Amino acid sequence: MEIKKLLFVTKFEELCFDALKSLLTLRNADLEHVVFLNVIERDKIAMQRGSGYLKDEEIRLKETANIRFIDWAENLFEMGLEVGAHIDVGTLVPRIIKTIEEEQPDLIVIGRSHKGPLEQLYSRSDVAELIRRAAVPVLVFKHMAEDDIVPEKPFQRPLLATNWSEPSSRATELMKKLHNVIEELNIIHVTSSKDLKGSSSHDVQIVRKKERKKLDALCEEFESAGIRARPHVYIGDPIKEIQKAAREYQSSMIVLGSSEKTAMLERWTGSITKTIADRSSFPCLLVPPEGKTTE
Amino acid sequence: MTQKVLVVDDDPDVRSFVVTVLEENSYSPLQARDGVEGLEIIESMRPDLVILDVLMPRGSGIRLYRKLKTTDSLKDIPVVLLTGIAFKSFLRSQQTLAEFQGEQVPEPDAYLEKPVEPEELAETIKKKLA
Repeated sequence: MEIKKLLFVTKFEELCFDALKSLLTLRNADLEHVVFLNVIERDKIAMQRGSGYLKDEEIRLKETANIRFIDWAENLFEMGLEVGAHIDVGTLVPRIIKTIEEEQPDLIVIGRSHKGPLEQLYSRSDVAELIRRAAVPVLVFKHMAEDDIVPEKPFQRPLLATNWSEPSSRATELMKKLHNVIEELNIIHVTSSKDLKGSSSHDVQIVRKKERKKLDALCEEFESAGIRARPHVYIGDPIKEIQKAAREYQSSMIVLGSSEKTAMLERWTGSITKTIADRSSFPCLLVPPEGKTTE
Repeated sequence: MTQKVLVVDDDPDVRSFVVTVLEENSYSPLQARDGVEGLEIIESMRPDLVILDVLMPRGSGIRLYRKLKTTDSLKDIPVVLLTGIAFKSFLRSQQTLAEFQGEQVPEPDAYLEKPVEPEELAETIKKKLA
């Protein structure tokens, strides 16, 4: 599992060239090809009373995007990268899925969902829908909340959150391939308070010791792959604890395995990843399970 | 026999413009929407000249250009780059790729920056196929 081809989905609002530039450290790993995608939402050019279908507006929006992409592409071409571009009219997630089928990228980069809370109540956020449908790792890119600054090197100090699931193992394998990019990796496992059998501190320590041992073994695997890694066991609500750890260790991104399973399992895997991806102020890389197909 | 000219561009308006210029000048036009389709047509139809965009979905023009110029059976097909990408950026990309891949490719037969006038395009094609 290598990141050779990256699909960069932009509306020219949140994700611009500074965000793309911050990802080019992946060139030190396996990145060879960047594909841009700009989706012009139908409602921007849809037929309106009195004005009809806004063909001129469609041309204007497409040309604006094209000029932007040419400018970005010149920079990337000069770095020896292969570059492609798609400018489509339609609905965001279906157009991304179509582009995945055409381009077969290894990573999709998308900004945070722009749907409001009320819209999300009736339909999933774009990010949640994409994660459900795509069989490719998705990086939900975030700007540093307060000052709107792009994290300089998102892959420099990732926090890998593992629940020992198969998607977590895939996330682990993906991280190992990035040994030329990652400076330090923190690995966290969160044990839910409900999973602590017994109430004595001894029982709690037994659980901690067992998980810590597994994390130590994982860290050794990373050390063998040339990545400095540190293990952390946290107790509590995974959504809160993972974000807390990311802050405490000044992580540059959160990496999680994601899966679409039964409602029961979804509660522990799917919903945790999707909630963190939607709400966290950190960029989030979500890795789907092996064998999943893009829908 | 009419000479076959392939235009590889993802923009249907550009393809339509080039095809019109080709037909008006008695060439037989072929069309491809991206680098992958372009290579398939080049291998199957053997055009006499290729007009190539650079920034396209699927395989870019840079990949296709390098493929053409490093394949013995295809390297003699003249290639005219017709693109919005600056020539300077194209040359730098070739220098970087030559360092990475250890393989130099020659400069294109002609490089036209979009938009191009029909007369300039027709003249360039004529010169390269003379």
